[in-house]
Amino acid sequence: MQILNQRRTTGALLLTALCTAPIAAQDVLVQASKIVVAFGAGETKSTTLADSALLIRDGKIAFVGADIPPEARRAARVVDYGTATISPGFVLAATTLGRDVDLGEGAIAFTPDLRTAEAFDPWLEQLEQLAPAGVTAFGLTPSARNVAGGIGAVGKPGKDRGRLLAAEVFVGFSVSRTARNQERQPTSLMGAHQMLRESFTEARDGIKIGPDLAVLRQVMSGQRPAFFYADTFAELNAVLEIGASFNFAPIILGGSESDRVLQKLATRGAGVVLNTLNPSMRLAELELPAKLTKAGIAFCFAGRPDQLRLSAALAVRHGLDRSTANAALTRTPATILGQQANIGALRSGCGADFVVFEGDLLDLGARHVATWIDGKLAHGTLAHSKLAHRTGPNSKPQTNISGGR
Amino acid sequence: MTPLLRTAALLRTATLTLALGALAAAQDGVTAYTNATILPGGKPAMSNATMVVSGGKVIALGGADLKLPDGANVVDCKGKTITPGLIDASFQSGNNTQDLNEQSDEVTPNLRVLDSIDPEDPRFARARNAGVTTVHVMPGTRNVIGGLGCVLKTHGTDPKAMVIKEDASMRIVMGSEPSSGNRAIRGGRVNSMYYRRPTTRMGVIWEVRRAFYDAKEAMTKTQGAPGDAPASPGTQVLMEVLQGKVTAVTTARSEQDLRTALRIADEFGYQTVIDEAQDAYMVADELAGKKAVVMLGSPSAEGVGGSAGRDGAAPRAGTVAVLAAKGITFVITTGTNPAALPLINEAMFAVRNGLGPQQALDAVTIEPAKLLGLSDRIGSLAPGKDADFVIWSQHPLDPAAVAESVLINGQSVSQPR
Repeated sequence: MQILNQRRTTGALLLTALCTAPIAAQDVLVQASKIVVAFGAGETKSTTLADSALLIRDGKIAFVGADIPPEARRAARVVDYGTATISPGFVLAATTLGRDVDLGEGAIAFTPDLRTAEAFDPWLEQLEQLAPAGVTAFGLTPSARNVAGGIGAVGKPGKDRGRLLAAEVFVGFSVSRTARNQERQPTSLMGAHQMLRESFTEARDGIKIGPDLAVLRQVMSGQRPAFFYADTFAELNAVLEIGASFNFAPIILGGSESDRVLQKLATRGAGVVLNTLNPSMRLAELELPAKLTKAGIAFCFAGRPDQLRLSAALAVRHGLDRSTANAALTRTPATILGQQANIGALRSGCGADFVVFEGDLLDLGARHVATWIDGKLAHGTLAHSKLAHRTGPNSKPQTNISGGR
Repeated sequence: MTPLLRTAALLRTATLTLALGALAAAQDGVTAYTNATILPGGKPAMSNATMVVSGGKVIALGGADLKLPDGANVVDCKGKTITPGLIDASFQSGNNTQDLNEQSDEVTPNLRVLDSIDPEDPRFARARNAGVTTVHVMPGTRNVIGGLGCVLKTHGTDPKAMVIKEDASMRIVMGSEPSSGNRAIRGGRVNSMYYRRPTTRMGVIWEVRRAFYDAKEAMTKTQGAPGDAPASPGTQVLMEVLQGKVTAVTTARSEQDLRTALRIADEFGYQTVIDEAQDAYMVADELAGKKAVVMLGSPSAEGVGGSAGRDGAAPRAGTVAVLAAKGITFVITTGTNPAALPLINEAMFAVRNGLGPQQALDAVTIEPAKLLGLSDRIGSLAPGKDADFVIWSQHPLDPAAVAESVLINGQSVSQPR
């Protein structure tokens, strides 16, 4: 199924074949001149180690830097990325992996108890696009077509096939235009709002029982995060009103007009998953990351995986600090998905999911050397040494971010 | 302390208090609008008059001799005319009418148009700049019973802060609009929700009747047996209409629809306001007999806009004069017609067609305020009322009049011209 990347050199192929087989049984020591254990989200400084190493055991980070026991260090197979930087893999907070058809039950708009995990195909072609973009985990959301779409999962792409990390994580809702379908209820925003208001009331007051309302009760008790597709002012206002009435903090998906409700988002403790940015967007949208951060609202990106880095770089160009931008690719989405103990950082116990870049993540000219998922090389090369020859005066890193257009 | 010194000290304190009072007045933003012609709404015009505004309210109104509070900002309105902010009792909001109609069901009494309001809707700005400070917004006209309307000020960033009356009305629609486009199921594949009732004018009435019948049934039940399941949210709204707690507004344009609207209200024993009412001149006696209040939609328009045009209503410019002569309470609105003029020009048009100027202005100020149950706050200028008013370049019914300043809660909200 997995077609090996043709761009890979024969030497790298051989190296991959030789090294990956025994890795499962043996610890791996990955070295680099710079290792970012976690990007600061709310912290003033990122946790960065110089000339350090990670010890990977059974697909997880077992030890970091000075904590690695000497005997484990000696016994491990060494992978040396030389002058490159290792940082946590990117987390795509929300995606349907192009499978909207399978992730939006068409008959009725209120299906909060359906599980997206049910529709997850570990061999899906779209998964192959993630590791090359540096994505090592994703939130699998129901489609935006249903007012209450279902329970979202968290998954990982892999070297050969993807897998689910957690099957029931959050609940996906939508009041966006796609949820207002002229073929069935609701056809209007007020219809969608009323549908949510009545269902949450029924769940809260115990007027009715059933698996669908049980899921809403989990949202109200804070057991599960609630993701809402909402873009316009009226849609965002509807979501925030539902959140306020039923006392939960929604996570907004989209939120292109969220600058009009900053105060309300902050008061409610809501987070925002913005669409990935591109230079042709309105200035107001490009400035959203900085505005949200200034208002104390957590945000990250979803959309095109290959535009995650571009989005973070554009956010920096439009006023965001670099630390928050890096966190928005890694730790913030992991936290929004409630998976910060497993993904988004390279602490002991987290999955060994990381990206290797020759330079700064936010420098779009920096070469992406490799992506590792669950302690295995999923994209790129195993060593940095060959690349060292390629870096010369002619391959000066580009600083013009429009190069990623 | 000698008596003299004590007096001096007292005087000093008094002076200080007075000075502080004046300072407080200035800080409070007390503003006096002087030398104006004031048309206070529901009362005769006052010339060379003064109005004092503070804290978003009118605090005093009087002639040139009215004593101004110390420290008040004075705005000289010589040559200008001040009226209360205009009230449009039937205002179409939303660029996207799809969001004003929940079409998955033909009877949706509990849906709230407030849920679809965007404060930056350009229609609010357009109305505001033309002197309209309060609007009554209702759901669209594609459903037999569309849902709940609300009353909003036309300026703000949060619908919750703009709204001054939630659940102000429930809209019922007569005529062909709720049935047009619907199809009957005749053995075909049902692939659209437009395979639904009603498909005819009779069907529309049948839906209204069934909804109110169910509400009456539910009222009997809930009154009879405690422990009965509560009525559905939609039925609860209909029950409130039957109990007179929520105002029914029936949109009816042609003569037959107007008669039907009155008949159904009679049948179920609720009072209804008649909206649009282009053919009202033909049923003036019945309207007068039932003491029905009329919200006349865009009286300047020569025809009925949109799909409702096929209902055959024949608007006449003289309707305003007929209604006034019969003593029918009515207000002038822009309504659903896309060809409607700005509200003040609709009032001006009514004057051209036989309505007195005072009555025409009342029909866009105090009368709609009474109709919406908000005359204690808006629609006229008197101490204690909201400081919603317009400073016009001349008498507002003059064709050359311009709304130079529009104020809501004492704050200027008009854009520079």
